[in-house]
Amino acid sequence: MDSTPGSSEYVTLVSGDGFEFIVPRSTACVSGTIRRMLDPSSRFSEAVTGRCVLENMSGLVLEKVCEYLCYNLKNKNQTNVPDMEIPPELCLELLMAADYLDT
Amino acid sequence: MAMRARQKIRAPRKGLASSKGDDFEANWQALSGSLKRIHTKDASDLSFEQLYRNAYNIIVTMRGHDLYERVKQLEREWLATEVRSSVDAAISPSLLFAQDALDIQDQANERRAAGERFLAVLRETWEDHQLSMGMITDVLMYMDRVVVADHRKPSIYVASMALFRDIVLRSPVRPDTKTTVADVLESTVLFLVQLERSGQIIERPLIRHCIYMLEGLYETITEEESSKLYLTSFEPAFLEASKTFYQKEGQRLVESADAATFCKVAMERITEEKERCASTLSTLSEPKIKEVLDNELIKRNIAEVVNLEGTGVRNMLDQDRLDILRSVYVLSSRVDNKKTPLTAVVQKCIVDMGQEINTLATAPAPAPETTDKKAVKEKEKPMNQQTMSAIKWVDDILALKKKFDAIWVDSFMSDQVMQSAITTSFSDFINSNPRSSEHLSLFFDENLKKGIKGKTDSEVDSLLDNGITLLRYIKDKDLFEAYYKKHLSRRLLMKRSASMDAERQMISKMKMEVGNQFTQRLESMFKDMTISEDLTSSYKDHIRKSASHDGKPVDLEINVLTSTMWPMEIMSNTRDEVQLSCVFPREVESVKQSFEQFYLSKHSGRKLSWQASMGTADIRATFQRSNGKTARHELNVSTYAMVILLLFNDVAPGESLTFAEIQSRTRIPDHDLIRNLQSLAVAPKTRVLKKDPMSREVKPTDRFFFNNDFQSPFTKVRIGVVSGSANKVENNDQRKETEKKMNEERGASIEAAVVRIMKQRKTLVHSKLMSEVLGQLSSRFVPDVNMIKRRIESLIDREYLERVGEDPPTYGYIA
Repeated sequence: MDSTPGSSEYVTLVSGDGFEFIVPRSTACVSGTIRRMLDPSSRFSEAVTGRCVLENMSGLVLEKVCEYLCYNLKNKNQTNVPDMEIPPELCLELLMAADYLDT
Repeated sequence: MAMRARQKIRAPRKGLASSKGDDFEANWQALSGSLKRIHTKDASDLSFEQLYRNAYNIIVTMRGHDLYERVKQLEREWLATEVRSSVDAAISPSLLFAQDALDIQDQANERRAAGERFLAVLRETWEDHQLSMGMITDVLMYMDRVVVADHRKPSIYVASMALFRDIVLRSPVRPDTKTTVADVLESTVLFLVQLERSGQIIERPLIRHCIYMLEGLYETITEEESSKLYLTSFEPAFLEASKTFYQKEGQRLVESADAATFCKVAMERITEEKERCASTLSTLSEPKIKEVLDNELIKRNIAEVVNLEGTGVRNMLDQDRLDILRSVYVLSSRVDNKKTPLTAVVQKCIVDMGQEINTLATAPAPAPETTDKKAVKEKEKPMNQQTMSAIKWVDDILALKKKFDAIWVDSFMSDQVMQSAITTSFSDFINSNPRSSEHLSLFFDENLKKGIKGKTDSEVDSLLDNGITLLRYIKDKDLFEAYYKKHLSRRLLMKRSASMDAERQMISKMKMEVGNQFTQRLESMFKDMTISEDLTSSYKDHIRKSASHDGKPVDLEINVLTSTMWPMEIMSNTRDEVQLSCVFPREVESVKQSFEQFYLSKHSGRKLSWQASMGTADIRATFQRSNGKTARHELNVSTYAMVILLLFNDVAPGESLTFAEIQSRTRIPDHDLIRNLQSLAVAPKTRVLKKDPMSREVKPTDRFFFNNDFQSPFTKVRIGVVSGSANKVENNDQRKETEKKMNEERGASIEAAVVRIMKQRKTLVHSKLMSEVLGQLSSRFVPDVNMIKRRIESLIDREYLERVGEDPPTYGYIA
């Protein structure tokens, strides 16, 4: 899950409508899909540039996704974790994003 | 998920899953093109996200199963065309057809080069496949998650590995043969291993990688540990090849080389194979190849190697080749817990060496024994020699023991089995020498008499300890006790013992080794000695106080011995005839009587019998020289010699006494008299008496004169008695005597044991009685079964026992 030396510590997640989120690599790698995307042993363009364009996500959703990724990493291996605020109108889209990103 | 009520949930916007019906083909086109680029290592400008989204879209539109099949198909085609062709190209004819021509050098070289090339290609292919499939699996991760889980299919990775196995490895190399790539791989690797075994250097990492491939592929989709291709196909072939190889090698080594080489090679092979498993093949094979080695190379041949004429274990033992012995041991212990061949040879060797020592010690014995009746003087030398050879026997055995102890520690890693084998063989050959007990006791005697002078405590300690170790081997401990008692009594009475401390130490060591009962009598001998010292001093006090003595006081030092504890036979040499006690001269007789009075006043009801043959006396003699001068000497002589010399006080100068006269006036037993006269008149340095005729032998008619011309450089002269006083090997008669006594004693011990057992058990079956008796007595000696039977008969005759039943024979105890 952690970054290999040499590849940068931060990665950029880009939404379909052009919003960019710069998050720590470890945070991004909470998502299985992004983790594989950035895996340095595979030579995909994302791994080379450290920039992941997620075409099918809006900025709104991606923001919430990023929030979740941080939340997940922060509260990893802990009990009694406070619930995360989820606006109901985003529920469905977030569910699909979660499925897509394997988080 | 917290959800507020009456809040509208927005439907996902179109576009996230923009599913138009025939998007599948479009998506697949994009995807398959990319997958091919991954295979050709041309993926750096592909977007993972894009591919992932393609796959995602296909699956979301419920075409996941089709995608799975398409990907499989793509892989199949890729492997069958591109990969196969490159692998096939690397298989040169020499790999295919030179299977049997292992030994031809130039072909071997060619084959080797081709083989390495082939392995390199195969490795590369495999690694590429692995890498590409890794990437493809990543991209198709969504498919694996959804489709595979739904349809219970192996993940695309596993499926593609199976494809690799079937298409690349399992298909015939050429259409017209059945040989598959896997076969070629197998034979190539085996060939290279063979090369390495014959001493060439091969490229280990290359093979290791191909083995990794076999380890990474499985027979089944479920990928159990046991279905690894390595285990199912390569390893059996490898083990089989190794088996034949080591069979041949073992045969060759046994036929052509010596044992040392065999061991060296075998040890090398063992480490070599181990290393090969670690660095070239798989560690999984290590225990198996070890087994092959053990069985084929070692187990088949070890017995032969151990017994090899001239170079086998026998030779190693002879020449102290400890290092090789160690490897023999290590090899043997690998295949056989008991190490039967090795122990057999070691035992035989010990017994042989022991027998050599035995014959060495006994060989010179028979010759002098036939003549010893004739020449008394001649007898002395061989007797001493015999004593020397007895001590040498012990020394030799100790040396041998030391040698084998060292071998045991160094080469046999202090193995218990080996130790007991060595111990049994020692005990075997030591007990095969009928005189072992006597010899050992003589050894102690010698060392306690003078051997320990000038040695440190620890040296003495180890010397005695060594002796004790031998004692452990001796079965007839009672015989040893008898001899030891005899020798000990001589040491004590003649004050020959160099150190009482050492004596006591010795006793306590024996006590630890063989038990209380054994040393009881020996200890009571020591007790007698101490009591006697007290007695002597209190007698001296008594004399001083009573002052009833006449003019000349005689210093009396006396040892009062308990007759049952001391071996009386050494004191009275006469057999069977009634012995009249020796006539003491007046002076001595009065002292004797005064002591008897004194002693009996202290302990009434005891009987004192005087053993003149054991005593010594200091007398002052005045010699009237013919030139008118007088010389005085203090003579230290035996009691008998004193009695004889005192006779001459009453003989006028120039007069003589005949042998018969002396005998009648002293009543000294013939045997002792002859010996004493010999030492007084024949021994060249102590000729206090003159004898006529001057000959060596003493005849009843010989005449004896007092020798006034006795010369000696010393004032104090010690006149030893010819033979008899020193402890030495017994002659045949004495031995028969000892044996007879021994048998009587054993008979008594057997009877005692039988009665003890029967008293406890009341009735007992014959066989059980026998085994109990044997058990009770085994610590002291090994009883003869017939002797036990006779003793039981005699006990029945004397009505201690009765026969109770006949079948099985049973005895009862009569109270």
